[in-house]
Order: sequence, then structure tokens, then C-alpha cells
Amino acid sequence: MQTPALPVPESRPLVPPSLRGVAPVVVALPVLALFQWLLGGADFASYLLSVMGVNIILAVSLNVVNGMTGQFSIGHAGFMAVGAYISGVLSLQLKEVALSFLPVAASDQVLFMLSLLVGGAAAAACGFLVGLPSLRLRGDYLAIVTLGFGEIIRVVVQNTDSFGRALGLSGIPQASSPAMVYFWVFLVVLAARRLAGSSHGRSLWAIREDEVAAEAMGVDTTGYKVRAFVFSSFFAGIAGGLFAHFVPIINPGSFTFVRSMEIVVMVVLGGLGSTTGAIVAAIFLTLLPEGMRSLFSALGTEGSLAQRVDQIRMPIYGVLLVVLMLARPQGLFGSKELWDVLPRWLPRKRRGLA
Amino acid sequence: MSADIQAVAAKDGASPALLHADGVGIQFGGLKALTDFRLSIHEGDLQGLIGPNGAGKSTAFNVLTGVYQPTQGQVRVRGAQVNGRKPHQINLMGVARTFQNIRLFRALTALDNVKVACRAQTGLHQMSTGLGAKFAAARHNYADWWKALLLTPGFQREEKRLTEQAEHLLEVMGLSHRRDEEARNLPYGEQRRLEIARALGTQPRVLLLDEPAAGMNTREKADLMVLIRKLRDDFKLGVLVIEHDMKLVMGICEHITVLDHGETIARGAPAQVRGDRKVIEAYLGDSYLESHGGAA
Ligand SMILES: Nc1ncnc2c1ncn2[C@@H]1O[C@H](COP(=O)(O)OP(=O)(O)OP(=O)(O)O)[C@@H](O)[C@H]1O
Ligand SMILES: [Mg+2]
Repeated sequence: MQTPALPVPESRPLVPPSLRGVAPVVVALPVLALFQWLLGGADFASYLLSVMGVNIILAVSLNVVNGMTGQFSIGHAGFMAVGAYISGVLSLQLKEVALSFLPVAASDQVLFMLSLLVGGAAAAACGFLVGLPSLRLRGDYLAIVTLGFGEIIRVVVQNTDSFGRALGLSGIPQASSPAMVYFWVFLVVLAARRLAGSSHGRSLWAIREDEVAAEAMGVDTTGYKVRAFVFSSFFAGIAGGLFAHFVPIINPGSFTFVRSMEIVVMVVLGGLGSTTGAIVAAIFLTLLPEGMRSLFSALGTEGSLAQRVDQIRMPIYGVLLVVLMLARPQGLFGSKELWDVLPRWLPRKRRGLA
Repeated sequence: MSADIQAVAAKDGASPALLHADGVGIQFGGLKALTDFRLSIHEGDLQGLIGPNGAGKSTAFNVLTGVYQPTQGQVRVRGAQVNGRKPHQINLMGVARTFQNIRLFRALTALDNVKVACRAQTGLHQMSTGLGAKFAAARHNYADWWKALLLTPGFQREEKRLTEQAEHLLEVMGLSHRRDEEARNLPYGEQRRLEIARALGTQPRVLLLDEPAAGMNTREKADLMVLIRKLRDDFKLGVLVIEHDMKLVMGICEHITVLDHGETIARGAPAQVRGDRKVIEAYLGDSYLESHGGAA
């Protein structure tokens, strides 16, 4: 899933430059199809993998803002909610619609994709509106504003009939599949890596390193930060849209501040600025509760502890963060990628940020 | 660059100064850090800005580059008033700088440090505040991101060009061997030179250097000054240098401005400034010569 580092002067390109943009997608699609086929009807595995995929999308996209750009957003669940509700409501509206020129299954997927994109676009638009005023200012304004945004979204949802109020929205077509989730995982990772390796990504790193110097070197720091934020919000919206289409019901409880913090923990745990770190941390933190559940059941603590995993999860994250800050403050990988920290005998990528 | 600059140039007949400060002043609370500061830099100039510690030299740089907004007076870049513009906008109009306390992008490689600066010049930037211009700039910049994400051939060519440009600047500053090293791992003197390379990456017309030789020995300082003169000629720049070493400044600069307590106490050719009573007093008064006059 890794893109070739830019630039590649010495090696003769395997793929002509004009095709390098789409080549990874062409490779990914059959792999995803195979993956879906292998998974077959394994319901729980499909569900768990989907949750994991959504978490990866959230962590990788938040890492662009909190890691690469060095800002501090703590309202990612709010953007996820926007994507979930907008695409969910749209899918409910389109439930009876079918594109006559396509087979039913294909038509459903096309409409699902459409709602996803609309949800993502709505989240991106919110990102723009939230980011433009708050990213102009230094310091903690973004944290405060994103925190407020998450809460506002929750209040709006709770008071709007068409969003199902506190009860939630059910009956959204279960159009999502692990293949679809991982298609978006693939896209967000590809986009984040390409961004990191491009001159735009370099400008983001520069802002993280020294905003005053970046500005003095002609970098429109506000513009860059807003663009990074819009990028990040878009994928959070997509993650929300996917989520809404494989869980039986979405309600405001799924998009709380705790959820936002969970994503922040993933990014910090993986290492601020490391895409692969965010992925590893998202996988780990998705499996941790499941692991604890099975462990407690196996230990035979008569189910009670196993059922309370969701409640004791946050304290455990807290402890995890404290331990991390003491033992490895830069996170698992720092701002490096997995292949930069692999043992020496494994083939390494070129040094640098790309 | 923008229409208003050309308009001013045409009106004046002669080309206006690349950088012009007209009675600029700034106050921090009760402290007048800079008062009635005047300065004109033209292409080919190599000017010095000196004064004892706390005289307001760095503050003058910060006002000229938009980091601070002046409370009095005007700053003009090629005739266009830039009061209220952001630092990146002033940079794009052709004014680049280095920092007294080195501010490199520490975790980025030497090459990437320069590439950031080169890249910034290629975006479309709105100079006017009109909504239409803002919209056009935003559309251009978002489209630029799409090109990067889609890895279009045009984008790949652009990246290659930026790399070549940055490599060239590293070579000019004698840093080619540090290309892929993180900036924070470079020795002090090389960090200072990398800052100059980075500033040159923004393709400036005016270069402001804040104590570029600080921490170097006499020999290195002399070499650096020769290099600065060469840069001025090769890149057709106007240069303004802050430097504590009087002998060095006197030796290389053609025009010197002396600040003390925010006020300009002398300006003119080195010989003129050297004999100025106020200048000698300012330096002796701060027992400057004892602490800084030597080879330091
Ligand atoms: N942001 C600020 N807020 C308050 N006071 C400031 C600020 N920046 C500078 N000053 C004050 O302005 C005065 C001039 O400072 P400046 O850094 O310009 O001196 P300088 O001539 O560059 O000295 P040096 O040779 O030590 O670099 C000092 O008294 C300083 O404390
Ligand atoms: Mg200074």
C-alpha cells in the first residue's frame, strides 16, 4: 500500500509517469475483491474488520492535522457524525430508488458511494467553516473550537426529527462491506502518503516545525492548515458514512467527545506524523477491547467484567497514554514510518519524509 | 508582480527602491523599540545595520518583513505599500530573510528545507483582498493538492524541477554533501548557510540577513562576507546585513545605518559612520568594545 517515494531519479520507472497516479488503485481492486470473497459470510469477522477499517480511516486522516501539521484537533468524531448522518439520511431517501440501467446490487453500491461522497463533502465543508476562523489563530483555539463543534453537532442531531433525535437513525440500508471499507482505507492511506511525500506535505511539516519561519519563506500557513483540515474532515465524513451503513443504528452516543479522544489516542500512540503508526495503533486499539472481552470470558469472571469492557476502556487508554508519555513520548514510531524503523536487514526506503 | 506595483513604478518614472522604510516606528507597551526608521535598498546594494544589543535591529527586520505591524510610518516593496500584509505575502513580493536565532525546519533534510521555500513561490497567491481573487486563489491551491494526490505527470515534473532548483542552491552555499541530512544535525555554521540557501529559494530581490556570521571565527566570517558579496552579484540582490563585528561591516558594506535605543543615530558610508561621535559614544557607553570589539 506504500507509494513510491518521490522523486525516483535513479531507478528506471516500472510504471510510466502518466499511469503512476492510478496504478495503485488498479492493483488494489482485485485484491479487495479477493479479500471480500475469502471473508464470505463471516459476520462477526466482517463487522470487526469494518470497525477496524473505520478506525484506521479516522486515525490516518486525523494524523494529517495533528501529526503532520502539528495542530491539535479534538473533534474528529463531530466530522464523522456529519458524514454518518448526511449519508445515512440520503441513503434512507434513496432506499426505493434504483438505477434502471444497472443490476440491483450494482445500483445499490453506486447510490451508496454517492451518499458516502455527499457525506464526505458535507464534513469537508464543515471542516472549512470550522478551520478558516480558528486556524488563523495560534495555539489552542483549534482544540477549543473543534471540541465545541463536536458538541454542537450532537445537540443539533438530538433536536432534529429527521436525524432521529436521541433515539437514533435506524433502517439505513446495510450497503457497506469490508471491501468497501478497505477501499477507503486504501484511498486515505494512499492520499496521506502522497501528501506527505509531496511539496504540499513538506510545507505542512514546515509549519509543524516552525510556523514563523514557514510564513517567512512564503508559505501561506493559514491556507495550508485549512486545506489539511478540509482533507482530514472529508475522510472523517467518509468514515462516518461507512459506519452508518454497517451498524444497525446510529445515535448521538456513537459520536461523543470520548470517541474523538479515542482517535486522538490512536494518533498519539502511533506517533504524531506517522501514517503507519496511526494504522498500527488503530488496529491495536480496535482489537484491545475484543481481546479483553475474550480474556475475561476465558478467565471465567462470570461475564460481568467482560461485559464492562466498554466502560473500563477509557481508563485503560488513559493509563496507556501515561505509560507512553513516560516511556516513549514520541509515540510508537515517532514521525517515522514503519519501514524506517524496521531492522537493518530488511530493504529500506530512501531516507527523508517521502 | 501585481498591478499596483507596476502602476507605482510607471508613475514614478524611475524604478522605486526594492525595499523602502519611511519613518517606521513600533512600540511594545511603553517601549519604543524603533522610531522614525528610514532605509532604502536598491538592487546591488550591500548595506549594514549595526548597533549595540537591544538597539532594535532585529525588530527593524521584523517590521520590514511583516512579522510585526509598524505603529508608525510605511514600508514599501517596489513602491507598493505593504503595511498590514502577512509575512508570506511580503516574501512573495521579493523580500527574504534569515533569523538571528536559527529557525530551520529542524526535522526536515537540508534539501527539503530549501524545497519548501522554492515551492511556496509557485502557488497562486492572492494579493488583493477582493472576494473574486480569494476564490480564484483557493481554487488554484485546492487543484494543486489534487494534482499531488493524483500524481499527475505535471506534478511529477514540478517536483523534479523543485529538487533541481534546491540542489543548485545547496551547491551555491557549499552544502551539497549535506543534502539528505536533517537540518538539526548540521554544524552551526552550516545551519546558518542553509538558512541563506533557504531564503534564496524564495527567489528574493532583497535579502535581509540577521547576524549571519554569529558564532563563527574571524576567518569563517571573512569567507562568509565574500560569499554574501558574490550572492549579491550573482542573484542581483539588494542585501541588508546585521552584524556585530564593526571591522567586518566597515570592510564590506557600502552604506551603514546605526541604531541605538530604536533611534537612527547615524547613517552613511563606513568612513563617515566610523568617525561619528554619537556612534562611538553609543558603543563605548554600552562598554560594547570590551565585550564585542575583539575577534569574538
Ligand atoms: N515582541 C516584543 N515584545 C516586547 N519587546 C520586544 C519585542 N521584540 C523586541 N522587543 C524589545 O525591543 C528591543 C530591541 O530588540 P531587538 O531584538 O530588535 O534588538 P537587537 O538590536 O536585535 O539586539 P541584539 O543585538 O541583541 O540582537 C529590546 O529591548 C527588546 O526587548
Ligand atoms: Mg537582534
